[in-house]
Amino acid sequence: MADVPGGYFGRALVVDVTDRSAEHLALDGETLRRYVGGVGLGTYLMHRLAPRGVDALAPEAPLAFVFSPLVGTPLTTSAKFAVVAKSPLTDRLNDALASSHFAIAGKLSGHDALVVTGAREAPSVLLVDGDGARVQDAADLWGLPAADAEARLRERLGPAWRIAAIGPAGERLVRYATVSHDGRHAGRGGLGAVLGSKRIKAVAVRAATKCATADPQRVLAAARDLRERSFGPATAKYRELGTLANLLAFNAISTLPTRNFQAATFAEAPQLAAEDLAEARGVARNSCASCSIGCEHIYATKGGGRVRVEYENVFALGPLCGVSDPDAVLAASARCDALGLDTISAGGTIAWAMECAEQGLIDAPWLRFGDAGALLRALDEIGARRALGDLLAEGSRRASAEVGGEAQSLAVHVKGLELPGYEPRTLQAMALGMAVNSRGADHNRSGAYEADLAGGHDRLAGSAAHAAAAIVTEDRAAIMDSLILCKFLRGVFADPFPEWAGLLGAVTGWDVDGAELERTAVRIVLAKRLFNLREGWTCEEDWLPERFLTETLELESGRIAALTPEQLHTMIDAYYGGRGLDGDGLPDADRLEALSLDVLVR
Amino acid sequence: MGTPKAALEWHGSTLLRRVTGIVARATGGPVVVVRAPGQELPALPRGVEVTEDAREGRGPLQGLAAGLAAVGGRAEVAFVSSTDAPLLHPAFVRLVVGALNGEHDVALPQAAGFPHPLAAAYRTALLPAVEELIAADRMRPAFLFEACRVRRLEEAVLLADPAVAAFDPALDSVLNLNEPADYEAARARPAPEVTARCFGALRRGLGAGRDPLAIHAATLAAAAAAVGLELDEHVVAALNGDQITRDPEVPLATGDTVAFLAADAGG
Repeated sequence: MADVPGGYFGRALVVDVTDRSAEHLALDGETLRRYVGGVGLGTYLMHRLAPRGVDALAPEAPLAFVFSPLVGTPLTTSAKFAVVAKSPLTDRLNDALASSHFAIAGKLSGHDALVVTGAREAPSVLLVDGDGARVQDAADLWGLPAADAEARLRERLGPAWRIAAIGPAGERLVRYATVSHDGRHAGRGGLGAVLGSKRIKAVAVRAATKCATADPQRVLAAARDLRERSFGPATAKYRELGTLANLLAFNAISTLPTRNFQAATFAEAPQLAAEDLAEARGVARNSCASCSIGCEHIYATKGGGRVRVEYENVFALGPLCGVSDPDAVLAASARCDALGLDTISAGGTIAWAMECAEQGLIDAPWLRFGDAGALLRALDEIGARRALGDLLAEGSRRASAEVGGEAQSLAVHVKGLELPGYEPRTLQAMALGMAVNSRGADHNRSGAYEADLAGGHDRLAGSAAHAAAAIVTEDRAAIMDSLILCKFLRGVFADPFPEWAGLLGAVTGWDVDGAELERTAVRIVLAKRLFNLREGWTCEEDWLPERFLTETLELESGRIAALTPEQLHTMIDAYYGGRGLDGDGLPDADRLEALSLDVLVR
Repeated sequence: MGTPKAALEWHGSTLLRRVTGIVARATGGPVVVVRAPGQELPALPRGVEVTEDAREGRGPLQGLAAGLAAVGGRAEVAFVSSTDAPLLHPAFVRLVVGALNGEHDVALPQAAGFPHPLAAAYRTALLPAVEELIAADRMRPAFLFEACRVRRLEEAVLLADPAVAAFDPALDSVLNLNEPADYEAARARPAPEVTARCFGALRRGLGAGRDPLAIHAATLAAAAAAVGLELDEHVVAALNGDQITRDPEVPLATGDTVAFLAADAGG
């Protein structure tokens, strides 16, 4: 493997758990340079390995744990991995990131990616280390929360093993179940259900080798510099209060989705605010492996437990469901962790059901906005796929289609993925970003809200000018998610693409520059779009839920926030134009060839 | 006064910067400044347009014609203000503009016993009528009011608006600075009383129990300084929950709420 670039092993391990067979898939230098790693490389692997039109929960559907060239280096926040598969929630490409030691141990098992295909009859675990892949029975782990399964398996295997596991929700194929490692979740899109469909409770990895970088001294110098910068003001928010600091600020600017997006402010928001809760409930601050930021804020729950607190879980299980009791929201968050549920989709689906129940569209008189007990009951029923929970486990799109009629217009999702905590009518560049993103409504693959919140344009008057923000933040996310670097570090890069190219060059030995990396970003974004296209995507999916285009919001200033279909069309057209796509959102043959994407569609 | 009125300072900004900012806040723009031919102007905020009188020194109708022509078809109604109005309040502007219904061409405030044509709203379709008056050398606004439908807004009407009653109860919006003493009196007034709020780590810097905070500040920069902050790449502000900005010169008015946020808001 003399020609393998630094930071790589030049191969993926593809394991068919049905017959326990495994083979190496060679990844040549050209492919690695085109797709880098993480989400980019995962997208390439899905094009290569996922049968066209495969059911996301079928045995043939592959699920990939994908590492990246920076993993294992001393570069801060680089210990991350991507989980990539076709989503059972959206039926489109899905990638989700998680962090820490699994990334390092998984890569140092000697592979740039681990791909799981097939399915077991009985609950099992997959072990991968320098000796290859083994599948073991794991009936005793089935039914456990992911954290408990992880602890028990690690106790059994030994401390060198690092484990990603699913909870009961993944086992029961809840379409927004997570894959968890060390309490962090590859959360969105139901990847836990994909693993559950294979009856794989956990994947355990152990480091067996080292991975050389091309220029260790340069990498070390860059790591020192980056670490120093990571202590600066650009990351202060994450260190001091974590992302929950968004909640009260978003409430002040009418961007806090409330009661299934019926409002954008929540009168009881101060009860859930980090500014006060951190004093009363904060008990610890943690970091992922190889991270100098330390964004994780751990709060005490009633009864003596602990839970990681972020904006998204508090928004989704609090204001979105009209719940203001912090004990209830923390308990609901802990319940999601235990069950292995994506908090955003869980909260979004329950909020939809609450509105339906209040309007008499579903028969659930116990389910009302603001009822903390109902929220917890709904989560339990979803995790168990019991009673109403069996319907809600399908996510808001499928559930609303099942109920039919008016219920469908109340379902707040894009491509089946429930919206995160960013109100589209008051963040209109973000509205575009969520409409067009391949993963669906998403704040991590499209960060266009950054432009809305920076004041460079009128966040309430979406226009063609807003498309640039959606494109540039999508491109930046594509590279950060492929290198992989944590997005909480994004503010320390003054000139991101050249700086990222410098890091990648030091690790790999490539003479890559910022311009090449910008092309790489476009390639990855379009590769995702192409995967969706072959799975049945049409441009009608690049759209927002009806509520945002028919209902307005009034701001504290008296201004009315409205987003019209014409505005959204204008922004989408500008986005397509900026991406070099035609009016149907498709690239032409020349565009594909120029980006070396033609090989994916042959 | 020794200095052109447009460049006079009031609590940290020029009168022109302040008035254009207040009008922009209240109307959403476009905002047009009409200057005398060749007149030098102090710095203006981004987006403010400048046009010139066709002839200098011919009074308000000449300026009105130039301004209405510059706005063109981009708005049906234009609020017209003089530059020497440091206490102009956005609520007053919104009220006057909103008072111009389909039955009238001008909404003309009456306060302190006088009409205030330079704190009034005009239908932009009046441009031909204004040009006719100029051609006939009938240069007083009163001639225009004779020729169109005017809605006179008495004090009682103005103060019936809750926001105007709360934040501009003396109708200081129509106050002009005609003499040096007027200017000195205006400068002696305190800056507008506003509410400052800080979020996230910024609040922690402010200290417990100090949010929200009532302060006096005429600009965002002054408000930021009052809570120990500086608007930079890490700190932005939202005015009354509306637009996000880093522009330190955005003018504030009594009753405003300024929210200071970490610039890297989001996940």
